[in-house]
Amino acid sequence: MSWRKQVEEIERKRARAQQLGGEDAVKRQHDKGRLTVRERIDALLDQGSFQEIGAGAGAAERDPSGALTGFTPANFVLGFGKIDGRPCIVGGEDFTSKGGSPNEAGLRKSIYTEELACQYRVPLVRLHEGGGGSVAGTGSRTVGNPVFTPPRFRSVARALATVPVASAALGPVAGMPAARLVASHFTVMTRETAQVMVAGPAVVERALNRTHRKEELGGAEMHTRNGVVDNLAEDEADALDQIRRFLSYLPQNIWEPAPVLPADDDPDRREEKLLSLVPESRRQGYDMRALIDLVVDRGTFFEMTAGYGRGQITGLARLNGQPVGVFANDCMVYAGAMTAAGSQKVRRFVSMCETFHLPVVALVDEPGFMIGLEAERAGTIRYGVEAALAVADCTVPWASVIVRKSFGVAALAHYGPGAFVLAWPSAEIGAVPAEGGVAVAFGREIAAADDPEARRVALEAAMASQQSSVPRAESFSVHELIDPRETRPALCRWVERVQPLLRALTRGERERPPV
Amino acid sequence: MTDHVVRAPVAGSVWKIEAASDDVVASEQTIIILESMKMEIPVRAGAGGTVSEILVGEGEIVEEGQSLARVKVSGG
Repeated sequence: MSWRKQVEEIERKRARAQQLGGEDAVKRQHDKGRLTVRERIDALLDQGSFQEIGAGAGAAERDPSGALTGFTPANFVLGFGKIDGRPCIVGGEDFTSKGGSPNEAGLRKSIYTEELACQYRVPLVRLHEGGGGSVAGTGSRTVGNPVFTPPRFRSVARALATVPVASAALGPVAGMPAARLVASHFTVMTRETAQVMVAGPAVVERALNRTHRKEELGGAEMHTRNGVVDNLAEDEADALDQIRRFLSYLPQNIWEPAPVLPADDDPDRREEKLLSLVPESRRQGYDMRALIDLVVDRGTFFEMTAGYGRGQITGLARLNGQPVGVFANDCMVYAGAMTAAGSQKVRRFVSMCETFHLPVVALVDEPGFMIGLEAERAGTIRYGVEAALAVADCTVPWASVIVRKSFGVAALAHYGPGAFVLAWPSAEIGAVPAEGGVAVAFGREIAAADDPEARRVALEAAMASQQSSVPRAESFSVHELIDPRETRPALCRWVERVQPLLRALTRGERERPPV
Repeated sequence: MTDHVVRAPVAGSVWKIEAASDDVVASEQTIIILESMKMEIPVRAGAGGTVSEILVGEGEIVEEGQSLARVKVSGG
């Protein structure tokens, strides 16, 4: 007696699983300029590190003697792997089989993805391409899930609360896969080959009598501007690179510290350019991204969600090797004012930093909430206050560097509890910027003056000088007024000082600094 | 030869126009300065060539994405 026959069957099924939807379907996938899910997984992971889970799951066909005559593999590929030597879970729909719409075994594996990431406490990467459930069903004879099944998004929510989740849209993604795509800390989509939508053209046409192409309903141009997807990728290789880069800053889970790399950049580096980066004229802007690059470890700034809420800049970086969240204002976009979109971007970003205990460095140039009819119509104050409240609830260490403006309620979203506050000589701090404040408080006086314009200019200048960082520092209203060139050394020392707090947070001690 | 359209990066008013039709401009050159939220926003040509048309006047209110000028791209 030998188990040879059974072993041969195992091997046949495994070999069949490697072929996905079959030679023709794989060719069609390649002709559309897209990789198969197995090729994607290989390209994402460290070479040879993929350990598949459920390779033999699928629907078998047998003749009356019980011999295997056919096998349709689960159309969701799942397993463990490593990225830069660190374990993770990776899963994705197989578009070459039923367009990624789950078959019975595929659905089981798909649902298991988040469970596995939570159980093993490792980051989760999902590579999405598919349309979710179909009215044709999975081929099962039973209808619906057992009534005692936990809610589908329970494990999705649990994963988001405990491990880093990064997802890519690499083809048409609709329905449940689209929902899982955005249920991530970082999402990326390819420029030409991906579309993301709640429902595709046929469903939309049936319900709304409107004809749209899928590119129009869910293209990257739109979704990188409305906050659905964080980053744009030129192609699949770029998308996978961005996911690897994102994960390189994050801990494996909320109980472990973020990976501190040996620093190859001098923590005491003082950049001369910082001394003249901010123009003296308050009407003139500067390049905040250039400022960030000069301060953080060289080449480490990874911007996220750049096309959405553009007045606020969010991204990850390192300071003396320690991963940090960077939150700054782009004064070239509506002076960096906090819009409804910018507020939502900030709230989501800060809550990710809080979840993974990443210290936040805020580079502040905040003139206040965006004002005007459109801003009011967008409900700016509602979203803005939600951002400010999320920041007020933070337990992660914050350092805030006031580069220029720090005004109004919106400024509150730039200082976490116990923030270490530094100010540049160019900083202006107050309830409202000088110009608007003068217009409100001295409107009548200006109108009655012999030379209203001269009076206005004089009042604005007087008000602006009161908002200078110099008296604020003398009053210990900020920790220190600094030479802009000292920013990096000061922040690198701060990162060293907060290490005990970071360790306490990973142990689950969430004591807030005294108010 | 194609015309490159220079668009407003933000809504605001046209504060200064720094180029005229037939001017030869470099890609990085500022051709119009907008004023938005009390800040000057320089708008660059975005492509090297000859300005074929300035579509706005000083003081004019412009929307985000509005066409401000056209540049006939040189070379190519």
